[in-house]
Amino acid sequence: MEKQTSPYRWGMVVDLDRCSGCGACVVACQAENNVAICGKKEIAEGRNMHWLRIERFWVGEYPNVRARFLPVLCQHCRDAPCEPVCPVYASYHNPDGLNGQVYNRCVGTRYCGNNCPYAVRVFNFYSHQWPKPLENQLSPDITVRTRGVMEKCTFCIQRIRRAKEDAGGEGRLIRDGEVQPACAQTCPTEALVFGNLADPRSRVARLVRSPRRFRLLEHLGTHPSVYYLKGGGREHV
Amino acid sequence: MKRRTFLQLGGMTAAGAWLSGCRSANEKLIPYLVPPDEGVTPGRAEYFASACRFCPAGCGILVRVSEGRAKKIEGNPDHPVNRGKLCARGQAILQEVYHPDRVPQPLRRSGPRGSGKFTPISWGEGLSLLTGQLRTLQRERTTERLALMTPQLQGTLADLAARFMATFGSPHHIRFDLLAPDWLRAANRRSFGQASLPWYDIAGTRYLLSFGADFLEYHLSPVHYGFAFGRMRQGRDTVRGHFTYVGGRMSLTAASADRWMPARPGSEGALALGMARLILSESLYDAASLAANGLRPDRLSAGLEGYDLPRVAQLTGLSQQVIAEVAREFATTPPSLAMAGEMVAFQENGAEAVRAVQLLNVLVGNLNRPGGVYPGGGPVAGPENSFADLLALVEKMRGDRMGVALIHGDPLHAIPQTTGFPEALGRVPFIVSFSPLLDDTALQADLVLPDHAALESWGDVIPLAAPRGTVIGLMQPVVTPLHDTRQFPEVLMTTARELGGGMAAAFPYQSYQEMLKETMKRELHPAGGIDLETVWVDLLRQGGLFKTEGKRGKGYRWRAEAPIPLPAEPRFAGDERRFPLHLQVYPSTAFYDGRGAPLPWLQQLPDPMTTVVWDSWVEINPGTAAGLGIGFGDLVEVTSPRGSLRLPAVIYPGIRPDLVAIPMGQGHRGMGRYAAGRGANPLVLLALPPSETGPLPAWNATRVRVARISKEGGLVTAGNPEGSYRGELIEI
Repeated sequence: MEKQTSPYRWGMVVDLDRCSGCGACVVACQAENNVAICGKKEIAEGRNMHWLRIERFWVGEYPNVRARFLPVLCQHCRDAPCEPVCPVYASYHNPDGLNGQVYNRCVGTRYCGNNCPYAVRVFNFYSHQWPKPLENQLSPDITVRTRGVMEKCTFCIQRIRRAKEDAGGEGRLIRDGEVQPACAQTCPTEALVFGNLADPRSRVARLVRSPRRFRLLEHLGTHPSVYYLKGGGREHV
Repeated sequence: MKRRTFLQLGGMTAAGAWLSGCRSANEKLIPYLVPPDEGVTPGRAEYFASACRFCPAGCGILVRVSEGRAKKIEGNPDHPVNRGKLCARGQAILQEVYHPDRVPQPLRRSGPRGSGKFTPISWGEGLSLLTGQLRTLQRERTTERLALMTPQLQGTLADLAARFMATFGSPHHIRFDLLAPDWLRAANRRSFGQASLPWYDIAGTRYLLSFGADFLEYHLSPVHYGFAFGRMRQGRDTVRGHFTYVGGRMSLTAASADRWMPARPGSEGALALGMARLILSESLYDAASLAANGLRPDRLSAGLEGYDLPRVAQLTGLSQQVIAEVAREFATTPPSLAMAGEMVAFQENGAEAVRAVQLLNVLVGNLNRPGGVYPGGGPVAGPENSFADLLALVEKMRGDRMGVALIHGDPLHAIPQTTGFPEALGRVPFIVSFSPLLDDTALQADLVLPDHAALESWGDVIPLAAPRGTVIGLMQPVVTPLHDTRQFPEVLMTTARELGGGMAAAFPYQSYQEMLKETMKRELHPAGGIDLETVWVDLLRQGGLFKTEGKRGKGYRWRAEAPIPLPAEPRFAGDERRFPLHLQVYPSTAFYDGRGAPLPWLQQLPDPMTTVVWDSWVEINPGTAAGLGIGFGDLVEVTSPRGSLRLPAVIYPGIRPDLVAIPMGQGHRGMGRYAAGRGANPLVLLALPPSETGPLPAWNATRVRVARISKEGGLVTAGNPEGSYRGELIEI
């Protein structure tokens, strides 16, 4: 067990029993983080830039068929396969337990993307355009990534930084619920809950103790900070 | 000074210099050891409250603005409808402001109609063209030849439009909207004697039974009911609400259900009555509720005689056991709740089928109780048959009895061609469009007077679904208008002023904003005597007027003279042998009825059920597709009695074998670079089934056939059609 040097260990709970798959989180993430607009061709090549995607699974056959949704974002693993392979330390582990990505270090080897079992790192294969005046929508808090750079979900680190500055100014820690990434903020069914796993009283830490809890590809030993809660009671199909 | 002291002081100075030297070196080193967070510089943004008018749900929004530019839209946590949450569409209206293809100033047609050739003109010229046309109508005493087509407006704008038309002297204000809940108002009037829209207490229910009501996507208020759905599932300690969905296609909403009942299209009402009959015969009904509603179980049973289990099973194509099970669960899990939605109402027998679902609520006592259904706090009155108004207008346009059409919205894309609207509109001599983008209607217009984007506008938004009280969202301009555009109500008011006389007198306001203030004044204090200026800023800051306490209105009670709902056998347009499949058109999750199509974020958003991006498609059951030799992504031709379309096929396990489905929203001629020429508009396929009482808005009663054309469908999905992981690996 590594030594905890920060009072925070950010984590998320995705309650699949609440998630309706509506896609509000996907647009929220794209709007918050200056994620590029990708055309049909780019997506056909498997080069969509979304940091957060919703997987859809069909289970069974008509008429006993079910559709299941699974929002997949960076799992912010404690033992992240993406981190040790970066030759230039662009992917790093920050003290709060986030898998960070330093864009201006990235030289585009894409080793991290290859090594990520969750396929949540996206690479700028192209220079992306925001035709005028669409560039006005770009958030000034975050860099616009250029071609040749790997990017990924940061748990909206700009919001965490903001909250830390505010809390630090008042000499306190960030309160539970004070900071949430764009996806969790907008989720209509409140399926996404974000918080500090190091604080046993936080909402996210309480939900993580649910017996419905599981983590994605747990057997790989990556120890993700994103926990999923199984959809319950689907006894009929 | 002693030598010793000198050396001590000198040593300290040297050490100090050395240490400070170290520190400065460290400052350069540290960023490399402890890296910065991704070049993040969190700035201080300003938030302005406003309201979303994309769909009639009317959510409250907060817009993040920095350096005078809107950056992001978030839900307004104080708004009782969406409580800080927001759907994909609401967040994407940001791109409406900064869309690269907005109409920057008024345009006059310079080529033939529909050629898309326009000459930019000034507002002065544009307005004088419009007033010139209107003056001609006045002079010739043919003011009824003016038509105004808008979506179903609310609040001040509705008042303004109505006043404009009434004062001018024309009855032709058409408020047709394919997805507007006219059908629900009409059914409520027939069953309960009041046309207010219902408010469903989904969060408090234990058994939710939805008949084609896709409340997580577009039905009434998706964010409001989505929030409630999350609480219904996991918001209570010991109760997890159960959800059963009835409908031939597994919609996004149905995908969240515990049980999906793919009833045959048009048989949903019969299914509801079959359940009602079973509940009656097994005495599972709520006797007190029946008594309170003036219904007698024996009479009801007699009325529902024909809906015995074997017959209903045969009509719906479902097993008797499943129907009985669901009926018993529904009756014995109070509080339960039955909802009827568009996918039922748009059948030919939809009007009665919706009432059959209402009867289920009466039967088990779900009216006016927690976990059940209440008359909502939204706008009490509204159009109940705007479709009939539309048909009447089309008739007049055809007979060359309309001179000027003022159009807000894009009816050429959003109204099915089977109504004859496109040809009829072509006969109107002067068409004015107020679209901010050159959409299909604006392309046919003679004059385009571009409206502001929503984030540049004033306005009030009255949500469709609110539990009780008065909820009025206020829209305020959060950015200065980007182009030389003017707000639609402002243009109407200016026109009225220029026309002079009674028209000018009807609008004694300096601006639309002033009229809006008058409305708010009335809402705040009907008796008058309030200084609005003191509260106006607070209202704007908070995002509107939210009076959610107070008593509920008169509850629902079955009308004494209301007949027992008896949906007839459904009729369909198209011969069963030539057109073996049913067609369902449904509002797309991303585009609603098509108004979201110009926004690239929504085009890029993978459709939740199919993960298709930037396109439209037809969903076919795997068995049916195999029989027709159709594979995933093949180009197919869908032919109805009305027309045909070519589009790619998606093999969709969650749809009946005798049904195919196409999402609405694509297939625009215009609407900017991201929407134009993309996908197909399924509304061109729709035909209306024969009816004695005149055409009904039965949009899901068309039959089609499907044939494979080629392998090249050009379909792009963001995800693997099977999902990236094997389901058993992640055990969901």
